[in-house]
Amino acid sequence: MRHKAGHRALAACRALAATLALAMAAACTSGSADSPYFGKVSPPAGQEMRYISGSEPESLDPPVSSSQPDARIMMALFDGLTEYDPKTGQPIPALATTWEANDDNSVFTFHLRDAKWSDGAPITADDFVYSIRRGLSPALASRTAYMAYDISNAQAYNEGAVFARDRVSGAWVMDPVNTAVRLALPGDEATRTKALSAPALAFARDKEYVPVRPEDVGVDAVDAHTLRFRLRQPVPFVPKLVSHQFFRAVPRQAVERYGDQWTRPGKIVVSGAFIIDVWRPYDVLILKRNPSYYDAGMVRLDTLIFYPVEDLTTMMNLYKAGEVYATFNHTVPSSWVGQVKRYKDYMDAPELATESFVFNTTKGPTMDVRVRHALNMAIDKEALARFRRTVKPTTSSVPLNMFPGYPSPQGDPFDPARAKALLVEAGFRDASGQYDPSRFPATEMEIAYNTSESNRSTAEFIQAQWKQNLGITVSLRNMEFRTFLQTRSRLEYRGIARSGWIGDYMDPFTFLSLYVVEGGDNGSGWSDERFVALLNRANRQHDPNERYRLLAEAEKLLLDAQPTLPLYNNATNYLKKPFVKGMWANPVTMHAWKFVYIEHDPAKWDQVD
Amino acid sequence: MAARSTSAASADVPVAGTSLWKDAFRRLRRNRLAVFGFVVVCIIVLASAVGPFIIEHTTGFTYDYIPTDPALVTSLPPFTAPDGSFSWVHPMGTDDAGRDILARVLLGGRISLMVGVISTLVSLVIGLAVGATAGYVGGKVDEAIMRAVDVLYSIPYMMVVIVLLAFFGGRSPIGQLVLLFVALGAVSWLTMARIVRGQVMSLKAQEFVLAARATGVPASKIILRHLVPNALGPVVVYATLTIPSVMLLESFLSFLGLGVQAPLASWGSLAADGIQNLAVFPWQLICPGLTMAVTLFSLNFLGDGLRDALDPQMRKG
Amino acid sequence: MGRFILRRLIVIGPMLLVVVSLTWGLIRLAPGNFYSGEKKLPAAIEKNIREKYGLDKPWYVQYGRMLANTVRGDFGESLKYPGTSVNSILAATLPVSATLGVLAYLLALVVGVTAGTIAALRQNSTADYASMAAAMLGISMPNFVLGPTLVLLFALTWYWLPPARWEGFSTHLILPVLTLSAVYMAYIARLTRSGMLEVLRSNYIRTARAKGLSEREVVVRHALRGGLLPVVSFSGPALAFLISGTVVVERIFALPGLGNYFINANLNRDEPLIIGIVAFMSIAVLVFNLIVDVAYAFFDPRIRY
Repeated sequence: MRHKAGHRALAACRALAATLALAMAAACTSGSADSPYFGKVSPPAGQEMRYISGSEPESLDPPVSSSQPDARIMMALFDGLTEYDPKTGQPIPALATTWEANDDNSVFTFHLRDAKWSDGAPITADDFVYSIRRGLSPALASRTAYMAYDISNAQAYNEGAVFARDRVSGAWVMDPVNTAVRLALPGDEATRTKALSAPALAFARDKEYVPVRPEDVGVDAVDAHTLRFRLRQPVPFVPKLVSHQFFRAVPRQAVERYGDQWTRPGKIVVSGAFIIDVWRPYDVLILKRNPSYYDAGMVRLDTLIFYPVEDLTTMMNLYKAGEVYATFNHTVPSSWVGQVKRYKDYMDAPELATESFVFNTTKGPTMDVRVRHALNMAIDKEALARFRRTVKPTTSSVPLNMFPGYPSPQGDPFDPARAKALLVEAGFRDASGQYDPSRFPATEMEIAYNTSESNRSTAEFIQAQWKQNLGITVSLRNMEFRTFLQTRSRLEYRGIARSGWIGDYMDPFTFLSLYVVEGGDNGSGWSDERFVALLNRANRQHDPNERYRLLAEAEKLLLDAQPTLPLYNNATNYLKKPFVKGMWANPVTMHAWKFVYIEHDPAKWDQVD
Repeated sequence: MAARSTSAASADVPVAGTSLWKDAFRRLRRNRLAVFGFVVVCIIVLASAVGPFIIEHTTGFTYDYIPTDPALVTSLPPFTAPDGSFSWVHPMGTDDAGRDILARVLLGGRISLMVGVISTLVSLVIGLAVGATAGYVGGKVDEAIMRAVDVLYSIPYMMVVIVLLAFFGGRSPIGQLVLLFVALGAVSWLTMARIVRGQVMSLKAQEFVLAARATGVPASKIILRHLVPNALGPVVVYATLTIPSVMLLESFLSFLGLGVQAPLASWGSLAADGIQNLAVFPWQLICPGLTMAVTLFSLNFLGDGLRDALDPQMRKG
Repeated sequence: MGRFILRRLIVIGPMLLVVVSLTWGLIRLAPGNFYSGEKKLPAAIEKNIREKYGLDKPWYVQYGRMLANTVRGDFGESLKYPGTSVNSILAATLPVSATLGVLAYLLALVVGVTAGTIAALRQNSTADYASMAAAMLGISMPNFVLGPTLVLLFALTWYWLPPARWEGFSTHLILPVLTLSAVYMAYIARLTRSGMLEVLRSNYIRTARAKGLSEREVVVRHALRGGLLPVVSFSGPALAFLISGTVVVERIFALPGLGNYFINANLNRDEPLIIGIVAFMSIAVLVFNLIVDVAYAFFDPRIRY
């Protein structure tokens, strides 16, 4: 009795398992192999674009949100002085039609076009002045305020600092390092007293201390259509910088009326091609066209829908089922790339981003620059890039071929023999002077990374490389994102940590400034005054080629010191239905939504636009 | 009074003990399905223990070996050579990095089985002790214990793990493993305690318990000898249900940095990775998934057999 | 009974404060900040943020403010989503999670109890083994595997159902509810079966049978009440968890529920949002467990409080 029942039960299990396996196999093979497109292709009846925008927007107030997905949505709502070219990412005219710089790149003047807010009020230079002062105000606590620190007194205002003024003559005390700007001292009295006790600041004692006011910031409206930036030092890339969301103007009338609720549907006032119609958090954000837009005749889409979706497979599913027409950047899982790449939906371009490891230069074996070079030379980056599929190998910190005319210096090539020689030099050798991996304190090292499938595969691959090429096994340690950030910035990791950076603007400086300690820490503990001096010298150059040459020299210095281990240059990759036109793969994956439209004629789908 | 009851206990415990377990074992052996489950579990345990060594010695593959030839760094279907022909080298295929899935599944088995069994035992012991005490003693004690359990239910588990890791994580692999069991055990005993308490509350009103109480049997003995064995049915069933859930919880914890560190893997983490590639490389999910399913099925048959074998009512009949 | 319920309702208040206090402590112990990013912020910006959100105040001021917020039932503004109140997030996401959770639970209950009862009544029959094997499959197949598999079949191969997203009461609900309920279905089926097996052999069922009641009456009127006790124990926390959202299903199907917000709030160290959701969840747990305890007395009249 038991016996028979047992057999029946087993048969039942087997049947269930078999059905499951069969069903899955059926599902897998039933792709439309002959179609040049991935999944369902059925354009909507009207001009409606459905886009997966990634995480739920944090905020649609330009200086408040720091996230790239939000910036992509803001491209539809607020026009910048300049915009990212939809094909190259370089600045093109938007609200500003022309601009010019003075001789040493320290004053920039932008000329605005006649344009209106969606409530009919004109957009003037005063709006930009108001917006930039608001963005810098300590009370707003913008996370991207550092983007504007090169404007005169902007940093001082954002820090809540004070200026020193002579009690008798009323003359401002100037900064001894950069005599073009006033000296800024801590606003807090106790901190200031302490700072002033240093002999170097003796000249600033016993003065009248005046809080920095918003009017002190170097942004002026020369007239209604002329905006001028005065900078504390030469910054040649200002036109690239002002595409960033921080510099987009916000409507003073709406902000003052509704406070932090001004971006809600019904309250929001915009300068861009679209305006919010419906916003259901974590569900959908629906935009409709803005009839007051200066270029409204150009705009083809009637409706632009953003879906916040976080799971990659879900995105692929929605896309394949034809429910959405395009996805945001890095949405194709790397193992899918091989399959999806042959379809015309697949969009890719070199990205303004780089992936690397940083070394902890403050403790352990990675304090030794020879060890750092050896570890770098023992990675076959060509193989790594082939394994990661979409990326390009690199030995440099600034993305290759991204900036025409920039003479990228080369780092160490793949060379296991030299790597071993360097380790021998660093003392990891046996009695006969031969390389001895067992002497290497691999247990004092780890590769720390934040949880993600791609970080893990990269770390696993490199672990295998070092095992094969150097005979050492470095363990991996994954961490939840915020725990990881703290561990890395406090240099509590052992040896190696993952690091990646997406450029803020189209200039090599956004990558190199990571290693200027003041600009933000890079997690390696490395700093070098010569490096900072080279960058400063470069930015004072008016000739762009000479500037690039000096920046490249600084990068070479960085690569020689090797606090960082460049791995690869990312590529953007996303999917787009063939009927979506006017949306190109560019290095920043910022799409100017006003150019996007739905092409209903299949004959035109494959034409290059 | 006290002396008499202890002497009574010491007089009959050994007799009752032997007959209970001997009996149970005899009945278990007669249950072919349970025996089948037992055999399969043994095979999988054995394969996980020695399999990785065998594979290393026959084909040279280990769980973390990424081929040096870039052409091989690709996901091959089961029993397939890189040129597409039949091959015995990778019976379960390879993953994206060209690693042998069989080696990874067998190694993952070590982790998953250990996690499943140890964490379930932890939850069983704590859940039984807490639940039985609350249910039997009742009143204020029950109230206090159950409210404490409610509080623990409501604390965000993720935060607990993040904090645990911040203070104890990243020191040594062994410490990490102990931390994993603590984290898994901490969460899984709560429902167990509620189930045991419910059973005990219902049982303690039954005639045989009332009778034992009336004759002056001490509470600890009533709980251990009468209540726990009678409540064991649903408890064993719930325990067999806990094994898969802790195995899966483990793969979630690895997201937070607990759990096993790559390139090691567990069945849960292999399945979680495989699911991403379901539409592209289905064998990356099917191979670890089926191994896990077969193991859990067998464990479950074994658990059911145990339940029947331990059932005091069936012993009578 | 009335006094018992009243006592339990009164105790909810203090327990809520214990839960939020412990949670608050955990958040403070956790490494990292809500504002930390890939590039470390300049010190001044960090200081501005800390001042804006009152993080520069002493801990007892912050703790007091959190407690006061909890008591008032207004948890303040989210840190991750500036300008969005925690209450509005709860109001928007709760209906989604609750709809999903209640539907999934009801489905699990109906299917699970039916299958479990049939299995127990025909112990060791094909029906028993088949339903238990199916239940085991449900348990050993995690929802992160089941969901995508269902999507692959129904949405991407046969194009019968939509693959994801929330559209209110519509066909969009079918796959997520199925995915969510599978595990609970399986648990309930197995718990019902073992509970029923236990009860069917007890004296009072023998008495009921001896009285000459039909098998149907015996099962429905007598056996089920006792046999469902383990299911009842299991249901309290299960329902509380189901209603407060399940992140995996919400992510797979891109649903605007509470679970996804909660996980992200934890990862983002979004204190007001975490506190708000935890407060809500603990009330749900306490209320549902109270209901379960009351239900015990109904299912087993011998239990007294």
